Amino acid sequence: MSHFLLMMLYATLVSLFFALLWRRAARARLRLFLQLFLGMMLGGILLAWLMYPFPSGPPTPIP
Amino acid sequence: MSEPVSRAQAPAESESDLKRTLPTVLMAWLIPGAGHFMLGRRGLAIVFLLIIACSLGVGLLLDGNLYGIVPNRPLTVLATLACMGMGAPYFVLRFLLDYQGDIVAPGYEYGTAFILTAGLMNLLLILDTMDILSGKKS
Repeated sequence: MSHFLLMMLYATLVSLFFALLWRRAARARLRLFLQLFLGMMLGGILLAWLMYPFPSGPPTPIP
Repeated sequence: MSEPVSRAQAPAESESDLKRTLPTVLMAWLIPGAGHFMLGRRGLAIVFLLIIACSLGVGLLLDGNLYGIVPNRPLTVLATLACMGMGAPYFVLRFLLDYQGDIVAPGYEYGTAFILTAGLMNLLLILDTMDILSGKKS
């Protein structure tokens, strides 16, 4: 499994959980889900991009 | 206008409240989603169970760490409490299946994050169940 896929899976699970826990209406749930999901995905990619100049060695493949 | 609650009445009410809420809260801790199930939110409860089971399952597949308390490492106490939040699965994995994770596995860190998240999500579900029971949440 790739790092990106795992990040996407994690973001999906957490966003779905909080959207169902914190909102009652379907539309509000969808809105919160998208906000959280995109926030985590884009935030993760941004953070990875900012860390790009500081490599710590070759990435370890995940089987 | 509400009548003042007598001193004898207040403890009796709180005792009956405790008897009513304790089994639900205990079940909410032991089985993820069970609290919501007992409160009649069955569909939501099953989805919560699936989300937590999926998070835990991925964590286990990646050989993540199921924390236990390590002497002289105080942060492991917090991490253990977070993992214990998942309820019965923690004790089954730790004491019946002797699962601990594999520190040299490539997905160890990711797996640990998934396992910790499963425990923390169930802790939030317990708090949500308590809020519903106390009437703070409809």
